Amino acid sequence: MKYDAVIVGSGPAGSVTARFAAEAGAKVLIVERRAEVGVPVLCGEGISQKVDTFKVLEGKRWMATKMEGARIFSPNGTTFTLSAEYAGNETGYVVYRDIFDQELARGAVQKGAEIMLDTCAVSLLKKNGRIKGITARHFDEPLEIEADVVVGADGVESRIGKWAGIQTTLKPYDLETCVQYTLTNIDWDSPYCDFYLGKHVAPGGYVWVFPKGKDVANVGIGILASLSESGKAKKLLDKFIAAQPELKKGEPLRVITGADPVAEPIQSFQDNLLLVGDAARQVDPITGGGLMHAIEAGKYAGETIGHAVQKQQFDSGALSAYETKWKNAFGKKLHRNYVAKEIMLDMEDKTLDMLADSLKDYKFEEFSTLSIIKALITKHPSLLVKLTPLMKLARA
Amino acid sequence: MAKPKAFVKKEICLACGGCISVCPKDAILMISSKAVVDTDHCNSCSICVKTCPIGAIRWEGT
Repeated sequence: MKYDAVIVGSGPAGSVTARFAAEAGAKVLIVERRAEVGVPVLCGEGISQKVDTFKVLEGKRWMATKMEGARIFSPNGTTFTLSAEYAGNETGYVVYRDIFDQELARGAVQKGAEIMLDTCAVSLLKKNGRIKGITARHFDEPLEIEADVVVGADGVESRIGKWAGIQTTLKPYDLETCVQYTLTNIDWDSPYCDFYLGKHVAPGGYVWVFPKGKDVANVGIGILASLSESGKAKKLLDKFIAAQPELKKGEPLRVITGADPVAEPIQSFQDNLLLVGDAARQVDPITGGGLMHAIEAGKYAGETIGHAVQKQQFDSGALSAYETKWKNAFGKKLHRNYVAKEIMLDMEDKTLDMLADSLKDYKFEEFSTLSIIKALITKHPSLLVKLTPLMKLARA
Repeated sequence: MAKPKAFVKKEICLACGGCISVCPKDAILMISSKAVVDTDHCNSCSICVKTCPIGAIRWEGT
């Protein structure tokens, strides 16, 4: 079997890469180790409304709820609401990730991509020292798939990058370890996604409640792996739910675990190889959100593959356009929020309370990192020292 | 005495891959949607044990 590009992983990063590569004329194959695209869901299922601008989804079947904003609860319960008015397209949707992923894959197929399920990549295929595809097992039968470009869209535990010699192992300090229930029988008819902070609530992370309808919500927790102990995430989430009268009577429809890289990005290209999505650590280190970046980077990866096929050039020089594009689009934001993550990890609960207190009544003229920092410092000048590194980056 | 090695209780594992992404020895693989520790490569560092959000990774002999 010979393709222009073989894409390992059928999540959003893989399917969107496949879509734009196929649209640009490339012969593309997606391999997925599981038996169904989008299943199991491993995600909080929130995404920015910016996804609309990429026009990669048809209909509304993938959408559970359209949110009006977010509420952030500091450790002492001070609530800061980020409404659509100020958050702009940073508000978003709660989605059904299984349907969402299948719609993205369907879109890729419509453009000409092929999919093989139950196909697990085993190693990189190399000839004369160059990557020339992958070896895989398809329904446990060995298989060689030749391709000029191999795309690792294989998630947080990416093997493709590792096999290509890219340092992909995450430090516990750079990983959120997560558990989530989809609860029903709850009284939670809210237009907001809620985030709860505090070292006793979720050390180095947060608890979230993302409504999926009036009596269903995703209730999850992410804690920093370096602050975790065996089973701690689940214990803290159970404790949180038990203390909330509206949630405690809920019954679970689904329980999932997840792992979310909150790291600085890694090298995302080399000769005949691209990494996209969680595999490239394209995740916001503050929110843990990666869906939107996976889709945006997937578009650039697909377009880059299209150009490479037209020119028949697949070396790192030809593929570097991909990294340039995604770094221009959101690389600065990821770096800035990595710095912000480090600052927040250093904060005591009472500092987080001060932050929330500064923001709760502030009228934003625009929603940007700089305007948030100004709001904070105006009310609590003592925060200035902690926030100076961030301010420099926001101004850069 | 040799240090105990980590092992995954597969009845608990929900296959998020977190342990794989933090293992400094690349000693954990996903096989049939369950994480599996390759005990030959495990150096007993405990990172995976602490990382698992639902306590699916234990020490051998416990």
